[in-house]
Parts: sequence; structure tokens; C-alpha cells
Amino acid sequence: MIIEGLLYTKDHEWLKIEGDQATIGITDYAQQMLGEIIFVELPAIDAKYPQHSELATAESTKAASDIYSPVAGKVTEVNDELETTPELINQDCYGNGWMCKMSITDSKETESLMDSKEYDEYLKGL
Amino acid sequence: MKSKITGEFIFEDAQDAPTKSVLYEKHLELTQKSQMADFAGYIMPLWYSSIKAEHDAVRQKAGIFDCTHMSTIEVAGDNSAGFLDIITTNKISSMQVGQAKYSYILDAAGNILDDIIIYRRKEDNFMVVVNAGNEKKIRAYLKALLDNEIVIDVEQPDKKIGFTPIIRDMKDYACCADRRVDIAVQGPASLDIVLKLLQTGVGQDSITGLRPFHFIEAELSGVNCIIARTGYTGAKICFELFVSPENAEHLWDILIEAGGLPCGLGSRDSLRIEAGLPLYGHELAGKFNISPFEAGYGWAVKLDKDFFIGKAAMLDVSKNHSMKVLRLELDGQKGVRPVRGHDIVLDDNGKCIGEILSCAKIGGKQIALAYVNKNANEPDKIEIYYLARNERQVQQGRKESINIGEKCDGDITGKIISRFQKF
Repeated sequence: MIIEGLLYTKDHEWLKIEGDQATIGITDYAQQMLGEIIFVELPAIDAKYPQHSELATAESTKAASDIYSPVAGKVTEVNDELETTPELINQDCYGNGWMCKMSITDSKETESLMDSKEYDEYLKGL
Repeated sequence: MKSKITGEFIFEDAQDAPTKSVLYEKHLELTQKSQMADFAGYIMPLWYSSIKAEHDAVRQKAGIFDCTHMSTIEVAGDNSAGFLDIITTNKISSMQVGQAKYSYILDAAGNILDDIIIYRRKEDNFMVVVNAGNEKKIRAYLKALLDNEIVIDVEQPDKKIGFTPIIRDMKDYACCADRRVDIAVQGPASLDIVLKLLQTGVGQDSITGLRPFHFIEAELSGVNCIIARTGYTGAKICFELFVSPENAEHLWDILIEAGGLPCGLGSRDSLRIEAGLPLYGHELAGKFNISPFEAGYGWAVKLDKDFFIGKAAMLDVSKNHSMKVLRLELDGQKGVRPVRGHDIVLDDNGKCIGEILSCAKIGGKQIALAYVNKNANEPDKIEIYYLARNERQVQQGRKESINIGEKCDGDITGKIISRFQKF
């Protein structure tokens, strides 16, 4: 499942842009690949991350997977609920399973990301 | 000067593209490509429904597993028993027809090349089931043995086996008329499933009365089967069914119809960890070159046999090993980070006594197999320290390695439990 209007990375993160704020999560493809997610390590609020740096970790019964920051920014909010109900990512990866919100440092960086059509094509090529 | 003979068998595996199991099309009917992965050279399903649902099915009802990737090798001929007694560690000549035995193939240096199950089908006919990941190595080793190309006794480099049985690949069309691949049905309801499919002609008693590590040959739904009370899940009631590859899809379908839940590699791993069963490369051999004695399987290495390949090394390691495999029960409630291989085991003083080999989340707990110092005290309470898993954690001060004897503060607690468990 891919949602229109979001931006996507090759590492299967999604980004929802509202002004200079971005909400970040992992895609349906990513949660399927990971399987049952049993632990999520979220970034610290106010921490700053360069683009493509390790932002969070999602661990499933199968593997530990690093989640990279799609753009540079400062973390403004994290989804605390994931600490006790990490399976929200499996159930609703584009909704209640969001991971964190950031204020974007450089909105030009979003140009390197894929839109839903491009991401769909990208998945077909995998 | 003559170089020292080590007796080590070194095999370089060519990395071929992964093969589809004979049940590949069946897996695609039940799961998505993204849930399939390359395992030991085969594209295999990791799970169909979920690892937990499949794990629970095997503990409460019955699960079925595609084990058709496992290698099956026929060893036949007058001296086949004598040959297997020399090339494996357990006692083979004394086996009865219809009996199965767990054993090891070692090189002359005592390295485990594989752990196997040997099924005696006739006085002079055995089926040897080999791990898929070791298939090519074992085939190369058997060929080298038959061709007298390798040393079998470091002390007597000229020693020969003296037996030349016929060895056939039981998965290969060209080699063997009686081809066999493995489909497992495991769990308390597996007996009912097998009985449901059993054709008349064989008494039901021969199945209900089948003891662990015994087998019969009978028809299930018109398909000739080796029906064996063996498995890799720790289930007390369990079967492995060996059928011709062209019957595998039919058997798979009727096992599902009869109530078996398809299970992937994920639950296969969590079930065997929960039961304490070793996986080659993790709790056997692997980075630490773990021996059967350390793994808790010294009983399958018969040191009172006159000779088997690797015996001198096994005599030594049976007396002189300093480490052992333990089973642990660890915190695993929601919000607890999963423990992974290499994470550190600490005693009740915070001292490192070893590391994790395998771990699985089971219900609200984690069950792990760990490699620890044999002489360390075994406290009621142990702790686990998570090693750094990425650069970010290293920057936050998490260590990437800890040596035995070193002290640190643990992250979660747990306890040592019995080495094995049956369900």
C-alpha cells in the first residue's frame, strides 16, 4: 500500500510535509519486510539529525532495522505510544504508527525524495 | 621437513543463485515474495500468517514445514553400516531397521562438518538427512572419502576406511529411483492428521505406537511415505514425512486440508530455540567452533567405539572444554528491546561469563541459548548487556564488545533454565 501525497526514500521511510514540519514513518513495504515489530527506539526530542543519519531503530522478531532521517532536521515530537505498542507500525504504518516529527532544516533536500508514483515504480523494480 | 597433518577438511562453497524449493509455487499461493528469503541456497518463506501464530499452532495444534531443502543421501551396500560407523560419531551398526539416530560428521581434526539424522531402512540401506546449508560440503567430503583423497586419522595418515558403499543423492532424478524430500508435521494434533491420511493396509497401531526416532514406510493419501517420529521443534508428538518430490505438492495440500498450519523459517527458529535445540553455525561449530560436548550432545559421540573420524580430537575436547551452551529465560514484555546474538551474559556480580548465540521472543519472555564459561558460577539471576548495534549507540557510550571476566551494568535480567524442554 502506498499513500498519495507523501514523499518516500529508497530505504522505505515516508515523509509527510506540512509547512516546515515533517512527519516520518516507515512504509507498508518496510513493515511487511520486518514482520512483527516488537521494539522501537525513538530519537530524543530536540536532537538534530543530518540527512541520511540513523534516526531510529525498529526491531522485529526477524531483524533490527535502522531508520534513516529522510531530510536534515530537529526532532520536535515522537510517538511515545510505540514504546509500549510497537505493533502500531504493523497495523497502521501511515497513521497511528508514525515515528517522529521534525522541523526541516533545508526544504531543498525533499527534492531528492520520491513521490508515490516514483516509489511505486521503485518497488516494482525490487 | 614434512608439514603437520591437521586433518582439517576445507571446502570453498561456490555462491550459486538460490534455488526454488519444490514447494515454491505453493508458498506463493500462501504468502508474498517479500516474506521469502534466501536460506542455505533456497528461497524459503519466513512466515505465512505470523511467527507467533505459527509458533503457537505447533505448541497447541499442528504446524507443517517445508523441509524439502534438506539434503537426503542414500548410503547402501554390504558395508554401509560399517562405513557410517567410521564417518559419524554415533553407533550405527547396532541400529535396528526402522530406527533413526542423531549423529555428527566430523573431519579428522574434530571439526563438525554437519549434524545429521540417519534412518536405517534396510540392513544395508540408510537415508542420511543433512542440513541444506552443508549439503555441498558433505557431498564433497563423502566423495573425497570414497576416493581416498583425505586423511581420516591424523596419527595414521595412511589409514583407509576400507568400505566403499554406494552413495546417492536422493533428491536427484539421475541418481536415485527412490527419491525423497522432507515435509514435517509437528505438534500435538500431528498424530491425528497422519492417522486421518493413513490408507488402509497399515494398522493405525503402527503409527500411534511409533516411538521417537523410529519410522515406518506406508501410504498417506495414496503417496508412499517414510513416516518418522523425528523433528526440530521440541514437540513430543511430531513427524517428518519423506516423499518423492513429485508428490510433495499433493502431500502439502492434504496436510493443510487435514488441519496443519503452514509454518515458515521464523517459527522453525523460535520453536527450536525454545526447545533448546542447536542450529549448525550457531550452537554447533560456527565462530566458536562449538563441539557436541559443549552443546550438550556428548551422548551422540560414542568415544567407546574403536574408531571414528575425529575421535582423537573428541577424546581431548570431552575432557578439556571450558565453555558450554546454556538455555536462558529473559525479560521480554512489551517495550523490552529484543536480545540478539553476541549480546553479553553477566553473572550476579555483573561479570561477563559469555554471550548469546540465539534468542527468540516467546509470549512475554525471551528464550535464549548462550555460550558461557563452564566454570562460572551459575547464579539464580543473570543479566544481559546489549552490545551497540549501530554508530549512534556507540556515540551514546554503548560498548561494541566485552571480554569474559570484564564487569559492566546489565540492561535486563533473566535466569538459567533447564538445557532442553519438551512440549
